[in-house]
Amino acid sequence: MASAPRPERAPRLPALCLTRYPPLPSPTTVGFLSMEEEETYLELYLNQCAAQDGLAPLRSPLFSPVVPYDMYMLNASNPETAFNSNPEVKETPGGFSSVDLSFLPDELTQEDKEQPVIGSKHETEENSESQSQQSRLPSPNKHDIGLGLNSPSLSNPHSQQHPSDTDSVQASPEKPDSNSLPLASITPMTPVTSVSECCGIVPQLQNIVSTVNLACKLDLKKIALHAKNAEYNPKRFAAVIMRIREPRTTALIFSSGKMVCTGARSEEQSRLAARKYARVVQKLGFPARFLDFKIQNMVGSCDVKFPIRLEGLVLTHQQFSSYEPELFPGLIYRMVKPRIVLLIFVSGKVVLTGAKERSEICEAFENIYPILKGLKKA
Amino acid sequence: MCIQILDALPRVTCPNHPDAILVEDYRAGDMICPECGLVVGDRVIDVGSEWRTFSNDKATKDPSRVGDSQNPLLSDGDLSTMIGKGTGAASFDEFGNSKYQNRRTMSSSDRAMMNAFKEITTMADRINLPRNIVDRTNNLFKQVYEQKSLKGRANDAIASACLYIACRQEGVPRTFKEICAVSRISKKEIGRCFKLILKALETSVDLITTGDFMSRFCSNLCLPKQVQMAATHIARKAVELDLVPGRSPISVAAAAIYMASQASAEKRTQKEIGDIAGVADVTIRQSYRLIYPRAPDLFPTDFKFDTPVDKLPQL
Repeated sequence: MASAPRPERAPRLPALCLTRYPPLPSPTTVGFLSMEEEETYLELYLNQCAAQDGLAPLRSPLFSPVVPYDMYMLNASNPETAFNSNPEVKETPGGFSSVDLSFLPDELTQEDKEQPVIGSKHETEENSESQSQQSRLPSPNKHDIGLGLNSPSLSNPHSQQHPSDTDSVQASPEKPDSNSLPLASITPMTPVTSVSECCGIVPQLQNIVSTVNLACKLDLKKIALHAKNAEYNPKRFAAVIMRIREPRTTALIFSSGKMVCTGARSEEQSRLAARKYARVVQKLGFPARFLDFKIQNMVGSCDVKFPIRLEGLVLTHQQFSSYEPELFPGLIYRMVKPRIVLLIFVSGKVVLTGAKERSEICEAFENIYPILKGLKKA
Repeated sequence: MCIQILDALPRVTCPNHPDAILVEDYRAGDMICPECGLVVGDRVIDVGSEWRTFSNDKATKDPSRVGDSQNPLLSDGDLSTMIGKGTGAASFDEFGNSKYQNRRTMSSSDRAMMNAFKEITTMADRINLPRNIVDRTNNLFKQVYEQKSLKGRANDAIASACLYIACRQEGVPRTFKEICAVSRISKKEIGRCFKLILKALETSVDLITTGDFMSRFCSNLCLPKQVQMAATHIARKAVELDLVPGRSPISVAAAAIYMASQASAEKRTQKEIGDIAGVADVTIRQSYRLIYPRAPDLFPTDFKFDTPVDKLPQL
């Protein structure tokens, strides 16, 4: 049950300017935007950004395809600057420093900061689909934006984030700024330099674990009874285990309102899946929000296509490697520079885990590949 | 009057060899020059135990007047106070209970450590490990205990892992399953503690090889020396020729023993070998299938076949 009282509108409800160019209806008409309107704005925005392609290619790893959606939120803060920022963005990436994001609640600023590395081109398409799905969620969120600040019924972590967010927002204006150049560089995700100079192998992501805070107490029993594909066995584990088919994922939903989403194959899918779960919870009557979506772990795997002498690796890299055939057939290599753990097997298969961003996985593989090449079995 | 503890400088030196450090023979109470054998000092106080105490000795009176032998390396500050049972009327209070009951705890700060040492000795005793391994284990445990980085883990788990590491470091590794057999801790937990201890002490151990286990497994199976040597040769060759990539050395050793025993007069079944080695018989079968095709190359040249190579069982 939605235990928190329905929050009333705070006075400082931000203007709902969804895009920068066509002025939207007045701030008070906060309703669901129709699908066509959303898509129109999205298209316009995409066209706009495509023109800016190549503005700051090196920044590409930071951007996420989701950002255009979040751009709506950013712009929502200040309609004037939203309009002005358009030409600004064209010239300088730092154009958004003028936008005062300090009062925006966590969910937006946090989302921007924690944007995972960009997915692939087809994820862009996915994204545009997901935009339409996401658009249904944002409207209640928009309500909550201003409310988040004032509503006392929010969970503590949420309120505690405010000071840290404002600090971090002001401290790192670049992050949202760089996010302002998003779609321009959604194209190839790997950073320019290291597109496997030594090998054409790129690790494939196999699993992404992410967490999100729905910011309301949940009645797990109600969720388990009314939701499809939900299992809840309080004696065994204190969370509802829900599964959806579309990005094939599993979520653990706890009564505190926090949720863990596992099983997605890309950052975008993880976010989309998490939003879907949040929508399910919302449809059951809880005032669910979507705060602090963060990717906690990414697992990737690849094949170097030659057998490896693990004994050689454990001799040369003793302080990083742990190879105990009695315990596990693979060598466990704990890399320091990107803090990644690699499981290296005799067959040449390598599993990389512990990453928070895609670039870490790629970097770790780039680091280990020359070492493995030197340890090829004759 | 303070008694000076002479750790650093010998109070006396050998007249012929003033630089030589005197060796203490505490049993006889002498200090002997190692160069010429001259007995320089005598009547040195014996710090060994006064009476030998046996664990099964139920004697109520302990004749020892000075307590157990000192173990300064391990428990710090072995000095403790014990209160004996009182005699005479004054030692009993109103109700007839003795005042100053029971001997108070000795070195309470190291109670857990002493307990662990006892456990280590018990475990080592079960598999007949020599004293040097037990001492090394005790030292490792003391280091880990003082570091406190693994404080939350069960002491028995840490003790078992230390025992495993000590065996590895002494060059006579025991398999995890063998340590499991004498400990109440699961293999998983011992494995976890093992990795944690290596990280905490910043040491590493050598990789296990098939030859480390041959003598033990073969003796337990009562196989003659020829078969043991053949099995060692087979396993080494198999690893060199990379016939068994990714297989645990224990499984390869077990398969080699099976092949060698089947070629000799002393045949052993896979189940028997599996029981001794702690390997499942399907695992032996898998590894055996990998080495079987190259069997003629793996045997040593001087091996006397009871069953010729082509008649070896094919599984």
